[in-house]
Amino acid sequence: MKKRRLALLLLLGLVLPAVSEAQIKHIEMRVEGMT
Amino acid sequence: MQQHLGRQDGVQKVEVSLLDGKVQVALKEDGRVDPARLIRAVYESGVTVAEMDVIARGHIVKDSSGGIALQTQPNQSFSIVPNDSSTGLESLAGAPAEVTVRGELYKKPAGKKKPDPNAPLRLLILEVVKKEP
Repeated sequence: MKKRRLALLLLLGLVLPAVSEAQIKHIEMRVEGMT
Repeated sequence: MQQHLGRQDGVQKVEVSLLDGKVQVALKEDGRVDPARLIRAVYESGVTVAEMDVIARGHIVKDSSGGIALQTQPNQSFSIVPNDSSTGLESLAGAPAEVTVRGELYKKPAGKKKPDPNAPLRLLILEVVKKEP
């Protein structure tokens, strides 16, 4: 049981930082010269 | 251009409006995208990027020139152009706080000067959307 909890905590520890990681959320461009 | 952009790392979907020249780039969940590569991809398809706006989340760090930069990935940061919106961020340099900003990352040079798709990108903050301690 303890091993399962430990494994779960380890998994959350790996996943949560990745989710809250800094990043570019959105990009919008205006372009010229399209035909 | 749409295909060129769609092939870049981190890009999930590209929507182009022929009417006003707006290109919306939907990013993959991990947000690992290189805006400079997107500009080069557009340029290589024979189209010119007039401007690029981003919404980005990251840490404020000191850059090599003594100014501040927004670090969005361990190996990706953008120097911040000092303006009214950026002055409140200087105190966060090196702090663990995260900020979300909306800003202009690229603007085509005015006049007849030829755009350089390889020029370093600098972030002109238009709005600080959120500060998280």
